[in-house]
Amino acid sequence: MIRALLAVLVALPGYHYEFPRDHFSHPDFQTEWWYYTGNLKAADGHRYGFELTFFRQAIDRATPRASAWDVDDAWLAHLALSDIDGHRFQHWERLNRSGPGLAGASQELARVWNGNWKVQWNGSKQELQAVTDRFTLRLTFESQKPPVIHGVNGVSQKSAGRGNASHYISFTRLITAGTLEENGRTVALSGTSWMDHEFFTHQLADNQTGWDWLSLQFNDNTELMLFRLRHKDGSIDPYSAGTFINARGAGVHLTSKDFALTPGGRKYGPYPIEWRVQVPSLGIDVRATTRLDEQEMTSYWEGAIELTGTRTGAGYLEMTGYRGPFQIQP
Amino acid sequence: MIPRLRVFHQLVLRPMLREPARTALTVFAVALGVGVVLAIDLAGTAAAGSFHSSMDALAGDADLEVTATGGVPDRVAGILATLPYDLDVRPRIEDFATVVASGRTVPLIGVDLLKGGLDRKYGSLTVADQFQSHDRKGVVWIAAGMGAKKGDRIALVVGERVGEYTVAGMLDGDAILMDIATASRDLGRGDRIDTILVKTPAQPGAEEWARRLQSALPPGVEVRPQGSRTSENRRMLAAFRWNLRVLSYIALVVGAFLIYNTISVSVVRRRPEIGITRALGASRAGVLLVFLAEAAVFGAAGAVAGIALGRAMAVGSVRLISSTVESLYVSSQPAAIEITGASVLLAFTIALVVTVLAALSPALEASRVSPVEAMSRGQREYVAQVHKGRDLMIAAILGAAAALAWHGPPIEGKPIFGYAAAVLLIGCSAFAIPALVSGLSIVSSRLLRALLGVEALLASRSLAASLRRTSVLVGALSTAIAMMTAVGIMVGSFRETVLIWMDNQLKADLYLRPGGRTSADRHPTLDPGLPAQIAALSGVVAVDPFRAYETSYQGLPATFGSGNISVALRFGRARFLSGRNAEDVLPELRGQDAAIVSEPFANKHRVRRGDRIVLPLGDRKVAFRVADVYYDYANERGYVIVDRATMLKYLPDPAASNVAVYLRPGASANTVRGEIERIAAGRKILILSNSNLKADAIKVFDRTFAITYALEAVAVVVAVMGIAGALLALVIDRRREFGLLRFLGASTAQIRKLILVEAGLLGLLANVAGLALGLVLSLLLVFVINKQSFGWTIQFHWPVAVLAGALTVVYAATVLAGLYPARIATRLNPIEVVHEE
Repeated sequence: MIRALLAVLVALPGYHYEFPRDHFSHPDFQTEWWYYTGNLKAADGHRYGFELTFFRQAIDRATPRASAWDVDDAWLAHLALSDIDGHRFQHWERLNRSGPGLAGASQELARVWNGNWKVQWNGSKQELQAVTDRFTLRLTFESQKPPVIHGVNGVSQKSAGRGNASHYISFTRLITAGTLEENGRTVALSGTSWMDHEFFTHQLADNQTGWDWLSLQFNDNTELMLFRLRHKDGSIDPYSAGTFINARGAGVHLTSKDFALTPGGRKYGPYPIEWRVQVPSLGIDVRATTRLDEQEMTSYWEGAIELTGTRTGAGYLEMTGYRGPFQIQP
Repeated sequence: MIPRLRVFHQLVLRPMLREPARTALTVFAVALGVGVVLAIDLAGTAAAGSFHSSMDALAGDADLEVTATGGVPDRVAGILATLPYDLDVRPRIEDFATVVASGRTVPLIGVDLLKGGLDRKYGSLTVADQFQSHDRKGVVWIAAGMGAKKGDRIALVVGERVGEYTVAGMLDGDAILMDIATASRDLGRGDRIDTILVKTPAQPGAEEWARRLQSALPPGVEVRPQGSRTSENRRMLAAFRWNLRVLSYIALVVGAFLIYNTISVSVVRRRPEIGITRALGASRAGVLLVFLAEAAVFGAAGAVAGIALGRAMAVGSVRLISSTVESLYVSSQPAAIEITGASVLLAFTIALVVTVLAALSPALEASRVSPVEAMSRGQREYVAQVHKGRDLMIAAILGAAAALAWHGPPIEGKPIFGYAAAVLLIGCSAFAIPALVSGLSIVSSRLLRALLGVEALLASRSLAASLRRTSVLVGALSTAIAMMTAVGIMVGSFRETVLIWMDNQLKADLYLRPGGRTSADRHPTLDPGLPAQIAALSGVVAVDPFRAYETSYQGLPATFGSGNISVALRFGRARFLSGRNAEDVLPELRGQDAAIVSEPFANKHRVRRGDRIVLPLGDRKVAFRVADVYYDYANERGYVIVDRATMLKYLPDPAASNVAVYLRPGASANTVRGEIERIAAGRKILILSNSNLKADAIKVFDRTFAITYALEAVAVVVAVMGIAGALLALVIDRRREFGLLRFLGASTAQIRKLILVEAGLLGLLANVAGLALGLVLSLLLVFVINKQSFGWTIQFHWPVAVLAGALTVVYAATVLAGLYPARIATRLNPIEVVHEE
């Protein structure tokens, strides 16, 4: 539905990252997203997972603006709350234009938001707020590690060709505390979250149909991010890659040769919801499983997982393109 | 039951059927009265009662509305959207668009369709439709019946320009929907929108939510329960509709006179039968019921015919009423005229109540007829004569009560006491007329004989003789004439006042305003650069940009406007209630938080010179000192006018709603107009010369009062028909008398002359009485009822030509109404009639 190539920039090697600027919007790129996921616990041990994602999609750069209402960008946002011990998955989505402050990612305001779903930067802290008709979730994130830039030379290549790549930044260990207000009850929560921020103009190549992505937070204070790009014929793209983050926060780039992602037998619809993750060079061989099968959003599966094996921990699993090619727009 | 039915048949049905023409006339008179009331009710509901349909088009189920004078700053939508509450925030642009092909104007609503895509549906819009809504080429959703279908291109006048839009889909509801970005661009709204509707959670209630939201927003922005604007407008229109409804009862009052007259005639004529029936054992109550039943038959038949008539007349009046509403109050989208169960009930209720009440007195009289008494005819007139003194007493009491009510204050903006005074005055004249008729007949009989001969003498005598009957006729006609005269004088005075005011107020040579639909509550603007470009023309000496905004004061809509004080001082001739000069008043406004307010505004809100009024402007609430109150007849909403610099301080949009252009002496208006047309090429702009503007304004004025004239005309038609019917009854009643006259040698020509003279006398009496009563009523209308309802000061003027014309027509109609009865009378066979003796 995107009429033409709107963005002027593509993700190229050598991009000069600058923070906090690069935590916010990059309107010269076509697509951008900010993903917050995390595993949380109440004081009584009740487990929750959450996802709050802000998507930006460039719509028009050619027409001069007549008012704040002109749709230069469409902002989509997804919110999900996985009540793991309550066996309940709830999710919402919303679509907005930038409008007069309806949605955006502004360095000036130190805020990424879509309506009253927002992440406000406050010094080194990030404060998440998400209001729905059922609950209000408020979380504060404090990063234990500096942001990680994935890929090589500042680009995370997704397929062959100049610019078929993204700029990809993560906070891999966000110490999280907050509250969930639901039905007049306030539950205090704590845990660990992960934040991905990615912006790009070209992503999937024509023969790519989707991806499987994992963020793994091990109990030994290391993290692992892996993604596997799938072809229409079922084969795996050699541009699949990952990053290992050691306890001090340094990232190690992994190519598709460095790891193996193997789906297990358990499925939810078309989605394989258990995986074996192997990185021989790091001595990692873990099983990722979920206690809540039905963590499916409108067009992808994204849910909290647990890790057992050579290392233990928790994380998030995202699988796209199993029900038709993935696209951001509804 | 059987005997009573038989009595009803004998005393009522048979005579009714025997005189189908008279029966039909009476029924028609009732039908006309009922029809007018129903028509005004239906048309008023369709035109004035439905004005909310345009504002509320596609409003959905919101709980609160956010508004601000000068439009809601769009960032307010951002503030609301980010509040930590589960709100559905729906920013809206509301305007009108005209479909070029059909010329039809419909509400144009701009909403956030992109956001709406995920959680709401507009008509049959799909999510896929919504996603292309931001297409900047311009896509619209339209209703069926606008002459285009999905995929077509449709030309629409939106704002100043004509644009081509692609129809993306069809809507339920009579409106055009577009994305708010398209609407903002094509209407040039900049950073303002018209309203934001907000849906809140059910708890803790709309008021608490309004309070919470208000505390998060700038003070000039108002958060109110949804529908507040609509109910404000409805409240504003209540007095207008109420006055209209009261006017519509005039025809009914006249109809009541006629019923009274018809039943009276029945009673008088059937005295012998009543006597016989009573002698045969019918009870008093039976006789009373029978005559009330006769009235009820007229009422029911009148109601049935009245409903059909009312429906037809409503179609004619709805456009008139809605154009009045538009020019005086608020944009209106007339709804379909609907006959509901309630309107049928209304028709039957008023018809039956009015006819039965009107018949009560003659029916009671009938029930008092004793079996023995019912023999002679003279007895009744004698009784009427005896009551003359008592009637004059009653008239005096009613007159005194009217004088008291005259000074009563308005109740909730409605001149209840004023109308009570009017009713009392009519009652007063109804009781005074018998004395007037008899007095006149004594004084004039000699004069008439000298002037018109023996037939006139006979006519005059017979008039006084059957006083009771004729006084009711004169009463009916004079009431109708009085209403007509009073309204004629009021409207004539008003018109003259407005003409003089316009001559004072409108001094510029050319006026510019955006083309397209106008109404009192809408202020589309011109290109902001235009005034300066025009001022630079060589033939132009000054321009005065006038800017108006919708605002509300004390829960009622008003207009907030500004102009250039220097230009107004140089050319304007505004007149003030205090009697001060513009040179003294206007400089007080310059750059200050001071305002002048229009007379209707001052009256409505009881604001006087020196008071402070607080208006929400943009983000703030601003207090203005009232420098003076000025005479204004432009609309009834009321104006608050400040210096342009003051307005720009609070509402910085420089665009003007209209521009007055003053020419250099000797400059050609046509040349300058041509130059302006070149500057404004491609825009929908209306350029009016001074005389164009005045002519347009007076056209609006006349259209506004057209409905009033129509109501008066109906009342007069009803009354004249009554005269015809009653004369007919008199002829039939007095056939023995005519027969005897003929037998004694009177020619048919003499008989005709006799009846025509009688009709002429009736008409003359009614005209004189009506004119006198009308003059008093017009003073009441001008100085009490109008002042209390609308707050305008009207200078009293005699619309001599109009009145003379109308009265002549009425008089001629009355005399002509005697032609048919006269024909009947001349056809009487003298031998046969006398034989009856």
